[in-house]
Amino acid sequence: MTSFQWIAFAVLGISFAITLTLTVRRTLSPRVGLAWGLLWIAAAVAIARPELTGEVARVLGIGRGTDLVLYFAILAMVFGFFAVYVRMRRIERDLTIIVRELAIRSASHVDAGAAVNVDDGGGVGGGGKASRER
Amino acid sequence: MTSVVIPAYNEAEAIGAVVVELVARGHEVIVVDDGSRDGTAGVAMRHGAIVLRHVLNRGQGAALQTGIACALQRGAEEIVTFDSDGQHAAEDVDTLVAPLRAGRADVVLGSRFIGTTEGMPRRRKALLSAAVVFTRLASGVRVTDTHNGLRAFTRTAAAKLDIRLDRMAHASELLDEIVRHELRYEEVPVHVRYTDYSRRKGQSSFAALRILADYVLGRWMR
Repeated sequence: MTSFQWIAFAVLGISFAITLTLTVRRTLSPRVGLAWGLLWIAAAVAIARPELTGEVARVLGIGRGTDLVLYFAILAMVFGFFAVYVRMRRIERDLTIIVRELAIRSASHVDAGAAVNVDDGGGVGGGGKASRER
Repeated sequence: MTSVVIPAYNEAEAIGAVVVELVARGHEVIVVDDGSRDGTAGVAMRHGAIVLRHVLNRGQGAALQTGIACALQRGAEEIVTFDSDGQHAAEDVDTLVAPLRAGRADVVLGSRFIGTTEGMPRRRKALLSAAVVFTRLASGVRVTDTHNGLRAFTRTAAAKLDIRLDRMAHASELLDEIVRHELRYEEVPVHVRYTDYSRRKGQSSFAALRILADYVLGRWMR
C-alpha cells in the first residue's frame, strides 16, 4: 500500500468512527448516519481498489474513474449546499416567528405600562391602589 | 376602527410626521420598528403610535405580518399598510377604506400609476413598469402598480394572509395570496411623493434582482 492510502484509511476510519458514535448517540438520525457511513466505505473501496472506479465509469459511459469521482463529488456538493440552504430558510422563518411573538408580547406590556402611568398621575397619593380598584 | 400598520427601519427622521398626520385623522397607528438603531420606536411612540419592536431586523414583509397580527388582536375592522418614509398621503387612507366599507372589495390596492406621483425618477418608473408586467405574468393579477406599500384589507382578508417572504418580495407574494384565497380586490388612485429622503432611503434599482430571486425561490419552496 502507498503512503497516501495509509493516510486516507486513517482519516476515513476516524470519520467512520465519529459517524458511528454520533448515530448511536442519536445526534445523527439513523438515515443520515447510514448515508455518511456508506460514503466513507465507498471512499475506502475507491482508494483501496482505484481500478474499480474505472470499471464503474466505463459502465456509465464516463471515460475515467477519476472523472466519475469528480462528477459524483460535484453532485454531492450541490446537494449539500441545497440541503443547507433549505435548513437555513427554515431557521430564518422560525427566527421571524420568535421575533414577531416577542414584539407582540412586549407591545401589550408597553400598553399596560402606559395605562399604569396615567392612573398614577391621576390619583394623587395612593393612586396605585385606587387604580387597582377601578 | 381602521388600524394603519407602518413597518419602519431606521426612519426616526421621517416617522414622526407620518404618524402625526395619521393620528390627527383619527386612525389607530401601529408602527413595527424592525430592529432600528436610530430611535425610530421612541419617535413613533412620542407621536402617538402603538409601537412593536422586532429585536432583530427581519425585513419589511416580516414587519407587516407582525403589525397585521397585532391589529387583528386589537380588533381592527380594516387594516391599512402604509410606508414609513412619508411617500404616502394620509388622506388616501379614507380612499382605500371606502370600497371595503361599501362591501365591494376584500382588498384595496393603491396605485400610483392610475393616481399621481411627484418627483418619480424615470428609471424607477421603468423598473416598476417591468415589475407590473412580471406580476401579471406570475400571479395573473391585473394590477397597474405593484410594490406600492399602500394597501387596505378587511379584517377577514387580513386574517387569511400568511406573508412568509420576510424581505421585499412580499409585495408579489401578497398578490399571490389574493389569488389563493380568491379575495375580491380593487385598485384606487393614490398619490406617491418621492422626496430626496425617500429616494435615499428607498430600495436601489439593483435590489430588484434580489427581490426577484427571493420571490421565485419562495414560490417554489412554499
